[in-house]
Amino acid sequence: MKTFEEKWTAWIDGQLEGKELAEFEASLPDKEAAEAEKQDALKLRTLLKTQLAARPMSNAEFFNHQLRQAIAGDERAAAPSTRTSTRASWWSIGRLVWAGAGSLAIFALCTFFVIRNDTKPDQSQYLSQILNARVDPAVSPNATISMFESKEDKVTVLWVDGLQSLPAEYAAK
Amino acid sequence: MGRFSRAAVLLSALLALHMTADAAANVWSGLVMATNAPQPTPLPAELDKIEDTLKDTFGYNQFQIIGQAQKTLKTGEEDWLASSKYFSLHVDAKGETGAGYLLNLQLFKERELLLETEAKLSKRSPLVIKGPQVGAGQLLLVLVVQ
Repeated sequence: MKTFEEKWTAWIDGQLEGKELAEFEASLPDKEAAEAEKQDALKLRTLLKTQLAARPMSNAEFFNHQLRQAIAGDERAAAPSTRTSTRASWWSIGRLVWAGAGSLAIFALCTFFVIRNDTKPDQSQYLSQILNARVDPAVSPNATISMFESKEDKVTVLWVDGLQSLPAEYAAK
Repeated sequence: MGRFSRAAVLLSALLALHMTADAAANVWSGLVMATNAPQPTPLPAELDKIEDTLKDTFGYNQFQIIGQAQKTLKTGEEDWLASSKYFSLHVDAKGETGAGYLLNLQLFKERELLLETEAKLSKRSPLVIKGPQVGAGQLLLVLVVQ
């Protein structure tokens, strides 16, 4: 059993026929007002169909191209690439730790050698040096001691005069 | 053994090799008799590098080794003796310095101490000590890091 509203909508749409149409129109209290309302509804329907219809695309191919690009981009983002996964697997935590330790070791080694080289003495200190010298004054009371450096051969000489002279036999091997 | 372990071992070996090569040194010590001779004998090879200084400074043309010793210094605290029949040179290394070794040197005539000195012997600079006059010649003490 249709309600009044259902019958009213069907009447406006022109879907009531025969006995059902006659009965509905007979039930209307003011048929002229109902007809006017029906015409207004039809006009409104026609207006809405005209104004709200989908606009034709002037550049449909460009729109489709944009759409395909967007879809392809989404697919690439969703699927992990082989290269990225390979790189991620190579730089594992263990290898990162080893790489860090290796870098630190090389840095420490370089630092060690640089510091060693920096602490080496300057050129003048490459010559040998006499820190002190002494003779027994009881044995050689007139002994004198001096020192000098021969720059050509980089030889340091400790010159001791006044030591007791000895006979030639002391030159034996 | 992993790749990184092998690299670490290699690195350590290189470091150890470098330090060993740097630490070990041969010190030659000699008792040299300098004389003048009409036909001088050839200069001993150990004295080649200081020939000019020996001849110019001391004024002799012949240099003969009457006693010698060669010592490889590993810790820098070794001691040794270079001896001839009557003389002996006691070398007591007291440690390594930046450029060489700290040495205590004692020259004995038989058991009598003639001369004592402390010196820094550089790896690049020989040390020559003028000893007593012996006959017409001169006793020299020579130390060289080889």
